[in-house]
Parts: sequence; C-alpha cells; structure tokens
Amino acid sequence: MAYSDHVQFGRDDRYSRHRFTFTGNAKEYFGIWIVNVLLTIITLGIYYAWAKVRRNRYMYGNTALADGRFDYHARPKQILIGQIIVIGGIILYNVVLTFAPALGIVLAIIFGIAIPWLLARGLRFNARVTSYRNVRFDFTGSYWGAVKAFFLGPVIAGITLGICAPIASRWMLHYILGNLTYGGRGVKTKPMLGDLYSIWWLPALVAIGGWILVTAIIFPILISQIETLSTATGTGSPFGSVATLVLLYLSIFVMGSIVQGLYSAGVRNVGYSATTFDGRHYLLSDMPRWRFVWVVISNLILTIATLGLMRPWATIRMARFQATHTEMGFDGEIGEILSTIKDTGSAVGAEFMDIEGIAVAF
Amino acid sequence: MSILADDGAVLASGSFSETIVTDRVGNVPRRVTLANGSVFETSDNAAIDAVVAIIAGKRPGWIHRAERFHPRLVVFALMALIFIVAIYRFALPALVELAVAVTPPVVPEMMAQGTLQALDATAFDTTALSAVEQSRLREGFERLTARSGPGAGKFSLEFRQGGMIGPNAFALPNGTIIITDELVKLADGDSELLLGVLAHEIGHVELEHSLRQFYRSMGAAGLIMLIGGDIGSGAEDILVQGGGLLALSYSRSQEADADRHSVQLMAKAGYDPEAIGRFFMLLETRLRDGSGTNILATHPGTPERRKAVHEYARELRSAH
Repeated sequence: MAYSDHVQFGRDDRYSRHRFTFTGNAKEYFGIWIVNVLLTIITLGIYYAWAKVRRNRYMYGNTALADGRFDYHARPKQILIGQIIVIGGIILYNVVLTFAPALGIVLAIIFGIAIPWLLARGLRFNARVTSYRNVRFDFTGSYWGAVKAFFLGPVIAGITLGICAPIASRWMLHYILGNLTYGGRGVKTKPMLGDLYSIWWLPALVAIGGWILVTAIIFPILISQIETLSTATGTGSPFGSVATLVLLYLSIFVMGSIVQGLYSAGVRNVGYSATTFDGRHYLLSDMPRWRFVWVVISNLILTIATLGLMRPWATIRMARFQATHTEMGFDGEIGEILSTIKDTGSAVGAEFMDIEGIAVAF
Repeated sequence: MSILADDGAVLASGSFSETIVTDRVGNVPRRVTLANGSVFETSDNAAIDAVVAIIAGKRPGWIHRAERFHPRLVVFALMALIFIVAIYRFALPALVELAVAVTPPVVPEMMAQGTLQALDATAFDTTALSAVEQSRLREGFERLTARSGPGAGKFSLEFRQGGMIGPNAFALPNGTIIITDELVKLADGDSELLLGVLAHEIGHVELEHSLRQFYRSMGAAGLIMLIGGDIGSGAEDILVQGGGLLALSYSRSQEADADRHSVQLMAKAGYDPEAIGRFFMLLETRLRDGSGTNILATHPGTPERRKAVHEYARELRSAH
C-alpha cells in the first residue's frame, strides 16, 4: 500500500526496527477464558473485575517488543468499585426514565455532560495501568478534546454520510494516541488528511456498491413476498418473509462489517504510521486491509457457529495478526528510556467504556 | 527475600511480607516487587510457585489450577452453557414474577403518572367528544371492569385527542385506560367494538404486562452484560439485537394474551365476544393493514389476530 511504502522509504539505517510479537496460544487462553465466563456467571457478575484483570494480564503479558514486554496492573477492586458505580448509574437512569420521564431527561443531560469526562478518565486509567519494561504509560487528554473526538467527530461524520469521516478519525487519533505519554515523554500523532482520504475511498465504494446490491436484489424479493402474503390474507407461510428478513439483516451486517473493517484498518495504518515517540522513534502499522476484514468476519462466524467456544482462538488470532503488523523503530538505545511512575486514577471511567462497548484498547 | 546474581552477589533484598508476587496467569512471566520497589521478573513460573509455597506455605492459586488445559475444561464449558440457558429460561421468568409480586402499588402508580404527563405534554390534546358519547362508553366500561379480576375500583377511563398518535388505546399500569378520539371516530358508532378494544386494554392491566416487560428487559440486559464482557463486540451486537427480537416476540405473546382476555371479559359482560375481531376487520379494510406476522413487530399480524379471536370465541362457546 502506497502510504506505508512512503513511510518506510523515509527511514534510514540508524533506526533499529522491531516488530511487536504476541506469544499467547489458544490452548492456554481457552482455560483462562472459560473459567472467567463460568465464575462471572456463578458470582452474578462480581467476578467480572477479576476476569478482566486475568484476561488483560494474559494478553498484555504475551505482547512483546524487542526485549521488553507489556503488563497490566489494574487491581480487581478498582474495577469492581467503578463497575458498581456505573451499573448503579445506569439502573438509576432507567428507573427514573420509567417512573418520571421529565426528570429522566434532566438526568440524561447530566450524564451527557459527564460522559466526556468519564471517557477521558477511562483512557487515563487504561494508560496508567499499562506498562512496558516496567515503565507506565499516562494519558493527558482534556475534557474538550474528548468532546471533539467522541461527540463532534461522529456527528459531523454522520450528517455528511461518512464523507467527513476522515476528519473525525483525525481528531480521534490526535486525542487517543497524541495524548499518550510513556515515562514522561510524549507521543505525537500527525496523520495527514490526504492520507486518511486515500484509505477512505475503498470502504466508501464498497458501501455504495453494497447499498445498490441490497436495494436492487433483496428489497424487491421482500416486497413481492409481502404482497403475496397480504393478497392471500395470511394463508401463505410466514417462513418465506422471515427468511428474507434474516437474509436482509445478515447481508447488511456483513456489508457493515466489511466497510468498518476496511476503514478501521486503514485508519490504524495511517494513524500509527504518522506517530512518533519522544520526537525520534517511530511507530508503523502495515495491516493488509482485506486480510484484516477476513480475520474479523471469519472470527465472528466461527464464534457464533461454536456458541462462543472458539472465541478464545479468535482473540489470540487477532492479537497475533495485529502484533505482526505493528513495528517500532528506535533511534538509539531503548534502555535509556526510564521514567517516573505515577499512581493510578479512579476506575470509574474505564468501566463505563466497557459497559458501553467503546473498547478503547491501547 | 533476596535476589542474587549468578556469582552470589545480593542484587536486592527485603522482607517477604512486604514483597508482592503477581498471581500466575498462563505462561506470563512473574513479577516479584520488593519493599524498596525493585522488580525481579522471571518466566520460571514453577520455581516462583515453589518459593512461595516454601515461604508462605501456600499452593499456587486455585484459579490457575482450574484454568490449566485439562478435560475438566469441557465440563466447565458445558456448565457455562447450561447456566446461561437455565438463567434465561427459568431464573429470569422466576425473578420477573418475584419482582412483580413484591412491587408496591405505588410503583405502577408513578410509572403511569409519569407516562401520562409525558404523553399529555407531547402528543395529546383534550378530547373533543360529546358528553353523550363519553358517558355511553363509560357505562359499558364500568360493566366490563365490574366483571374483571381486580374489580371496578382499579380502573379509570380517560379520553384524549391522539394528535400524531392517531387512532389508538393504551393501558397504563395503574389501571388508567386512554382511548383517543380518532379511534372512536374510526369505529363509526359501533360502541361494542370499542368496548372490545377496552377489554383488551383491561387485560394488559390485569395481567400486569407493563411491569413484566420492564423487569424482563432489565433482566435480559443484565444477562447480556454478565456474559458479554468476554465474547467480543461483534458477537455482543448480535446478542443485543437477538435480545431485542426476543423482547418483540414476548410483546407479541402479551398482545395475544390480551386479545383472549378481551373475548372472555366481553362474554362475561354479555357483549359479543368477537367484538375485537370487528376492530381487526376495520383495521384491515379502512387502514389496509393486511400484513402477516413480522418478527420485527410488537403486535402479531392483524388478519392472524382476527382468526385467533374467532377460534378462541368458538372454543369458549363449545365449552359452555
């Protein structure tokens, strides 16, 4: 792909280049995963905090770069307390919305104002409990940065039907990557808008093609079936229309996954490859986009077909795929980089993101 | 506890009680943090386990032992599947029944008042029906409620102009039933038909459908959250949407229950038990609603409902 070639040509020999490696295996992880699931169910969700710590310690601990590895330091109790507060908030909101809708709207506004703060705190928590070579990361993103990245960006991408998505992605990359620090030294992300648009047109074309396909083939079938059903006043088998609806849903879901996969892999490639650490060391991502889509979709199909039992294998496969397509180029000796270690913040924000499914993993 | 170099020189040391040894997770290297903050890392997990066992007399954590690759993991997987199915099939409905039973009457009262206030502020307008029309329906309504399970005192009838909601009737969980002017006009003088619809709404109240639906959706969301953490976002999306479809199927079965309730109650009050069927006929002819049952709908298909009502009425007649 053009942009990553461009990035690689810019590097000279003084860099020591290192690929990330992931050494976890599905056999070992399966045990950790199934015990996590089982204990979380038996303890009615309380074990979730411990499960998350064990899962992340396994995943981070098996991710290595050069001679160092990553580690996850969150303590289960931090996560449990955050989880209780967040679930309490969601229950409160639902109860109030049911019993006093007017008050529920006020509460929704209060939560809306609090969400960017929670997101920023969550990113900070995640960064601070992550270490590489025993040195912690930190995150210095502000409230308004979160508003821009998580609210304004999706809104302008949405109202322009995705045409402005690269602008939103640029804000997101700036916020999430550009505010990281490691050992007190900053990470800088300067993705060019032109590079982001160069990975945008492929998913955009696939999305348009997909829509044409769905409207030209599946809608006419659906409509003709509804018509035959109504003229037969309910005597026709409802299975035909149910099957078409399922087909419609699946084709939209698969199309959405392809578009999203192509785009997110492109954004990762451009964003990582425009990122430097401490002004001298560079990060690089060169994920083949169609391969990434294949990994995502085949993982999902296998997970569903095996009632979730292949999920650990899928997780390991994805982690390995991402690691092998990520590179760090060091300008000099890695051992020099040492730093101060700060204490962790509250876990409230991190748990909020988990519940909402906005997994902002490092 | 001391960390020694190969030649025996002490690199760092501290008392064991202040030393933190991380729990074992798979083959991930262990970290020993001494009191002074120095960290020792090794992937020789067995040796660390042995050291901890000797000093603290503790075996390595039982969680790690449970996680090791072993045929018992098959049993764990089966247990997890059985638990999930059992919670959904048995524990969730039982919890919903329990919650409905212990809910104080003030709760449906507050739910109803909040909903009515919100509807009055957004969609509804004061009724334009004449006093004669209102009292005629009220009379029939009282005859129905007097024969219902909770008795006439539980229910009240409200008239509203539906606005954007159009021809419709609602039951609020405290027993308030709202009928819109548009629905009365659609019936075109057939007040028995309207009473059939009101008997359907009385059924929703008597069977406590709103409360059940509320607890059920909370419970289903909780269940997805319970297992959702570890299955990945794509599978979680499908689970959430599948949960939505199941909630809709639950709503359709509630509608069918309320239809049957209408047939029963109308028969008890000495009206035509199939009056609600006339309402469905009206929907089919006037609003051209001939759609079949749809998995994406809250109500079953109208022609199907009419047929089900007809069959249920015949069943009741032959039973007597």
